[in-house]
Amino acid sequence: MTTAPRLEMTEVVKTFGPVRALDAVSLQVGAREVHGLLGGNGAGKTTLMNVLFGLYRADSGAVRIDGREVTITSPRDAIELGVGMVHQTFLQVDTYTVVENVVLGTTLEGGSHGAGLSAARARIADISERFGLHVDPDAVMEELPVGIRQRVEIIKALYRGASVLILDEPTTNLTPQEVDALFTSLRTMVAEGMSVILITHKIRETLAVCDKMTVMRDGARVQTLDRAETDADHLAAIMVGESHGTYQAPTVTEAVALGTAPQGTVVGDVPETTFEPGVSVRGMTVRNDHDVELISGFDLEVGKGEIVGFAGVAGNGQVELAETLAGVRPLQSGSITIDDLVLSDRATAQWLDAGVAYVPEDRHRDGILPTSGITENLLLGSHRSARVRKSGLIDWRAARQRAQEAIEKFAIRADSPATRAGDLSGGNIQRVILARAFAHRPRLLVLHNPTRGLDIGSTRFVYEQIREVTAAGCSVVVISEDLDEVIAIADRVIALYQGSQAGEWRSDRVDPYEIGRRMTGLGTSVGGAA
Amino acid sequence: MSEFLTLVVPMWVVFTLAAQGTILSGRTGVFNVTQEGVMALGASVGFVVAYKMGSNLGGLLIAFAVGALVGLVLTVMTTQLRLDQFVVGLALFFAATGAAGLLYREVIGVTMTPPKIDTLTKHEIPLLSDIPVIGEPLFRQDYVFFFVVLLSVGLYWFMQRTGAGLNFRSVGENPKAADSLGINVNLARTWSTIVGSGLVAVAGAYFPLHFTGIYTDGMIAGRGWLVIALAFLGGWRPLYVVAGAAFFAGMDVLGQKAQVIGLGVPHQFIEMLPYVATLLVMVFAFRWARQPAHLGSNYDRESRLAG
Amino acid sequence: MSTVEQTPPTPGSGGPPSAPAPRGHGSGAVTGVAWTVLPYVASVVLAFLVGGLLIQAMGYSAVDALEAVLTSSFDSRFGMVETLHKWVPIVLCAYAFAIPLATGKFNIGAEGQLLLGATGGAAIGITFSDLPAVLLLPAMLVAGVLAGALWAGIAAVLLVRFRVNEVLSTVLLNFVSFRLIDWVATSVWPDAGAGHPATTPVGDGARLPLIGEAPGLHSGVLLVLALAVFIAVGMRFTPTGFEMRAVGDNPRASLINGVKTSRLAGAGLVIGGGAAGLAGAIDVAGVQGRMLEGMQSNFLILGIIVGLMARGSMLALPFIAFGIAVLEFGAGTMQLVASVPVEMVLVIEALILLFLLLSDIVRNRLRGAA
Repeated sequence: MTTAPRLEMTEVVKTFGPVRALDAVSLQVGAREVHGLLGGNGAGKTTLMNVLFGLYRADSGAVRIDGREVTITSPRDAIELGVGMVHQTFLQVDTYTVVENVVLGTTLEGGSHGAGLSAARARIADISERFGLHVDPDAVMEELPVGIRQRVEIIKALYRGASVLILDEPTTNLTPQEVDALFTSLRTMVAEGMSVILITHKIRETLAVCDKMTVMRDGARVQTLDRAETDADHLAAIMVGESHGTYQAPTVTEAVALGTAPQGTVVGDVPETTFEPGVSVRGMTVRNDHDVELISGFDLEVGKGEIVGFAGVAGNGQVELAETLAGVRPLQSGSITIDDLVLSDRATAQWLDAGVAYVPEDRHRDGILPTSGITENLLLGSHRSARVRKSGLIDWRAARQRAQEAIEKFAIRADSPATRAGDLSGGNIQRVILARAFAHRPRLLVLHNPTRGLDIGSTRFVYEQIREVTAAGCSVVVISEDLDEVIAIADRVIALYQGSQAGEWRSDRVDPYEIGRRMTGLGTSVGGAA
Repeated sequence: MSEFLTLVVPMWVVFTLAAQGTILSGRTGVFNVTQEGVMALGASVGFVVAYKMGSNLGGLLIAFAVGALVGLVLTVMTTQLRLDQFVVGLALFFAATGAAGLLYREVIGVTMTPPKIDTLTKHEIPLLSDIPVIGEPLFRQDYVFFFVVLLSVGLYWFMQRTGAGLNFRSVGENPKAADSLGINVNLARTWSTIVGSGLVAVAGAYFPLHFTGIYTDGMIAGRGWLVIALAFLGGWRPLYVVAGAAFFAGMDVLGQKAQVIGLGVPHQFIEMLPYVATLLVMVFAFRWARQPAHLGSNYDRESRLAG
Repeated sequence: MSTVEQTPPTPGSGGPPSAPAPRGHGSGAVTGVAWTVLPYVASVVLAFLVGGLLIQAMGYSAVDALEAVLTSSFDSRFGMVETLHKWVPIVLCAYAFAIPLATGKFNIGAEGQLLLGATGGAAIGITFSDLPAVLLLPAMLVAGVLAGALWAGIAAVLLVRFRVNEVLSTVLLNFVSFRLIDWVATSVWPDAGAGHPATTPVGDGARLPLIGEAPGLHSGVLLVLALAVFIAVGMRFTPTGFEMRAVGDNPRASLINGVKTSRLAGAGLVIGGGAAGLAGAIDVAGVQGRMLEGMQSNFLILGIIVGLMARGSMLALPFIAFGIAVLEFGAGTMQLVASVPVEMVLVIEALILLFLLLSDIVRNRLRGAA
């Protein structure tokens, strides 16, 4: 092929205040090509694509499509140039139907609104058929599961005639089966002449579907490779940073973060130990925010020092389970006990006193006081305890002292204890939340998606801290949508489907595809804990 | 009955007009709380212009323009500068309240008997106005009434029955999604707030131009806040607002006629009716009333939240 | 999905103090104070500039008008006493707004709470008019606080139990209170000779002692001063004060960490109502000697302006309230001296607030550029 590549980005620079998010990054993507954009979090992959899609404005650099230099200042420009993007968080109007979401922002053909929608329905059916993306065009968005909602996002781009399709971490919430189906659709698209850019931090995925891959690190492009000329170890080395040729094999935690952990084999040390009884859940029944009974008759035992992992597709009761185990959401019936201390029916503050610590999924929404300093954030939850009070009043000097110690121990990157939590990066916010959780000397630690969006360093830090508390006899429940993560760090894996336990495995004897089937309600339900 | 309706219909015009203005901007996510002040300003401007120019239509139009100006300030401070919508709204409510009194005092001065203007003339629709009971109140009205009817139907048609309306509403439901599909979020918010705020001011101007012929401080008497309640209860939908406004207007008229009605209760307690009834309805409303998902929150395309 | 209770607009600009992180080393604290105070000074100057231009454009003398606004409080003992008497309800109504705001709730009902407090106080002062001051005065002030708290309590119950938006409930209760006190002033304890709806006077034992030569300063000023210290310490150093600020910052994170958020939000409204109720009772005991219609003046708006300007700092709030009291007293003089309508001052106050909000943008741009 001697013609110009489909897409060419040259020397793109983007800064956010003092942070240089993109440092003269260049990228070439040809037609009929799935191009992987690989790197850890904070590498700049999404930022680069947001520039291409017109969401961010680059400080400098050029973009060429089919050899012609173009200026993209808004998503509208990008769409007109045939660039479509499927974002990590779906950009959909929940109250609209599928067809309404798809036509949003386009000019409908046909005489009237109704006729236009009918025409759109037909086109959606055609796209679904061609690429294997089946949806009901009249379903209301908020009622659809994640996998279907993603199809709608892809259809939205194809409906607008995208010839370059960007997907940002598309597999995060999918089962292994759904991932396979998605990759098949992507291969069909490139076979028809399209270009696909796949943003991911998982090496296995890039190897499975990409023709070429570009590795990014710290806002810069490291290298672009052909699928044929590389393998997992090689890519991992480039991603983590092969300094001065002294590359060493990634540790287990790094392997998990990179998605190179071999499947169905022993990951991590899982000794054949039995655990002393610790936390006991009996007949737990929980309602969701809409007063629907989501979890019923739930039993669970977590031993002292044991890590139980829940794998599942988002929206299957994870939030409710986590919040109930953490004492935030009331039980309708049943009981939760730690060492025979009955916690259910008590106020959240008493759970904290009893040593229950919670690391919520949504760090910004549930985890921090954004406009308060680190001192206040670390005080929250223990502010009523006698340790921080002098003659009834809060001892701020001591609180600052403790914050300073936590900043050092947890390696929080902040100027001072007065730094506002909202100004910290995601990884540092997670460190603040962990510091707060561990200050309670936990006996039960509940973590929900603890490493989502974190860079490798922070991910490793989280895993180390978890192992440290288990060594001290803490019971740990990890609820994660990252199946690899659950398999790697848990002693026991439980599949969660519609609020109930759809299967249980020792983590050294798991088959991800089997878990995937159970996570989506296929196969017989096991129910209850062993 | 017909007499009661004759009193209710003009008050319905006030509530509907102001509430349609409120939901227009609300549907794009701009939560306007300046009503009480903008209606007072509209009343003051409408009266002063009508008095000086001798044209009621001029009064209405210039009231619209001044209300639109307040809307422009609100939208610039919230969409361009991304200041808190509620706080800016309060500040503009104060400024508008002050400006209303200031303008009147400046142009008219302090007088023993307030100057009066001729209220809007009523137009009769032949035949229809002869229908018993409803004919008189519904078909012998001034042009503002007919305008409000057309506006309500037009807004309903635009929001629910056109592609443009689909795009428009998406801005309040999920601005990021709208933006990613090439819909100009700030533009939609800007014009909807300008037009919406203008309509609110016209509703205020209707007081001197239809009811009283004079301007007095405090003549809005909390109706601006009731309008916000109406927008919530009407689920931010044009047709529900039309129905809800009838309820609010009915309560309003009952309260005003308290002294005449009697009923053996001190009249002050009947006068409380519109406010108490609204509070009671709101107790039950959360079960069914919906609101735009991003009402009251500003949109920043380049906001960068990790995770 | 809660619906009628619209997601409370996060008081981003009106919320807790956002003192910028000190930059540099040794002079950090000094720079911090400068960054906090400068916007206030700039906003006031700009607002007066715009106000002055308006006054000039309307054909009056801006210099005369603004001089009257700014100096008349300090020209005479009368001016200072009147200013401080205005300061009391302004600062209390500002607490009525700012304390619930700390938990993220907007109390727009201070005038109704003030009127109910005045009514409660007057009721005690009239019914037990023969009691000695040692008993009657405290009873009356307590009744005022309770009445205000109870009135705000209606909104609190509607919020906590039924998720009714507190902005609307507190505002609507103002209008209910107008009717209620009209009934009290015309039917329950009417004073036919007053020529304006008002109750009969309270007993002598219900009057606050005056301080100094005539015109005397009522001792409610000292009471409020003490209260100001108490509130500032309470919000900063007590666990409950900390919890209120935490809830205002992020209700969900607070809930997850054991704070009873909805109870606190309700409590914030009730405490705020109590503050406004105290304002009413003090106004009866110290200034009016009776409850009368219209005594709420425009303290609601002034309280909100002060509460927003204080940006969550309970320490700064009384000082800002004093500044506003000076402007308010000066407004009357301005109308006399320069014949500029008093509403001009409300416009200037609203402008100060708007400029203060805008200063955040300017400051962030400056910090970003630095």
